[in-house]
Amino acid sequence: MTIYNPGNLPKNDNLNRFAFVVDVEEEIFIRKGKMIAFYGQLQFQAIGSSMLDILIKQTFNAPLYINHFVVAKGQGQLILGDNGNDIASYDLDDANMTIKASHLLGFTRKVVCQESTMPGYLTMIGTGKIFASSNGPVHFLDLPCRVDPNSVLGWADCPSPSYRYDYSHVAGLMSMAGAVTGITLSGEEKQIDFSGQGTVLIQSSEFGELLPDSGLNR
Amino acid sequence: MPSYNQINEKLVEVTLNNEEVFAKRGAMISYQGKVDFARSFLGSGDVQDLAMRAVTNEAYTLMVAKGTGKVYYGYNGLFASIIKVSNEIVYVESKTLLAYDSRLRTGTMFLGNQGGVQGILRGAVTGQGLFTTTLQGTGEIAILSDGNAIGLTVTQEQPVFVDPNAYIGHKGSLTSSIVTDLNWKTFVGQASGESYQVKFMGQGTVYIQASERQS
Repeated sequence: MTIYNPGNLPKNDNLNRFAFVVDVEEEIFIRKGKMIAFYGQLQFQAIGSSMLDILIKQTFNAPLYINHFVVAKGQGQLILGDNGNDIASYDLDDANMTIKASHLLGFTRKVVCQESTMPGYLTMIGTGKIFASSNGPVHFLDLPCRVDPNSVLGWADCPSPSYRYDYSHVAGLMSMAGAVTGITLSGEEKQIDFSGQGTVLIQSSEFGELLPDSGLNR
Repeated sequence: MPSYNQINEKLVEVTLNNEEVFAKRGAMISYQGKVDFARSFLGSGDVQDLAMRAVTNEAYTLMVAKGTGKVYYGYNGLFASIIKVSNEIVYVESKTLLAYDSRLRTGTMFLGNQGGVQGILRGAVTGQGLFTTTLQGTGEIAILSDGNAIGLTVTQEQPVFVDPNAYIGHKGSLTSSIVTDLNWKTFVGQASGESYQVKFMGQGTVYIQASERQS
């Protein structure tokens, strides 16, 4: 087992699959409770109060989630962990990316965070870094594609998706009766449909609702 | 003496040469050679230690493997790591202890003995309770963690702050104190969510996991 010290900790990179080190130099937003350790001088402040409001007006534009994030400020190396979920960072360069709110772990201050029109998702716009967790490693899909709602982690550079209901196999009276009672349904009737140009991020497991504190996956 | 070998991130191999190793009950995956298994009550402690465990909730059910051969240990899909101990004390929760041998002497430590009120407070915040298991001497132990265990060095100049829920153990001569970010906002529902941090100072290593226990 490698023993880390401030000198050999990775810089803005994964420590292992489940832990990520962020070099904090200016204020960053992180999800409440996801700090597992840090070196240096860091303070954590709830948002929606005091001096920080100026920062928040510019970047944090999702009042529904204001209680889920805090601002870390100071100088130091911050280690993030999320209940043994895989963690990855995504670089935005004057781009936008939408991500499941319950999986968003943090983002740098130049990124604007807004609620997506899809409930339970946040759209990140601008230039900077985003940290997000996923259940199993993330896989990137090209469009067009259809994805199980629980497996979607996010999407980038493409139009907002829509729901597609696949009931083509429900034909005739018997299968209709079966569908109403749920017997003949495959459980995959509701899919999220992505079209146009862009990338979709999927996680390898459907247990998106496992995150206990979220209550966000409505 | 028994030698510990990491097979993969979740499996540890212990080679015995007419020796014995103590391990968490139910952690044996397989073995080769002539090894006998039995329930062990004392581990490498004494009767007083056993009595202490029974009353302090630091009790663990141990199996002893005795003989010559290789024993493979893993538990519940958790990650296993080997910690080398050289003439120092390791503090871990009995639940996270996977395997150790008689080179190390076990004991139960009242957290109040180690840092007074701060120690007790730390036990309360980490969900450790008031007591923790100690292993003293020179040798190796195997511990369990949810996700890879991460070792963080602490020096006089460089303290480390950890989330109490991610803490799994530490070794060396460290003192800890609780750092709070409590202010009036905490009490009107505007807590930062990182209100309690444990600050470790001194010389040693702190072990954490990338998963917060639900306490």
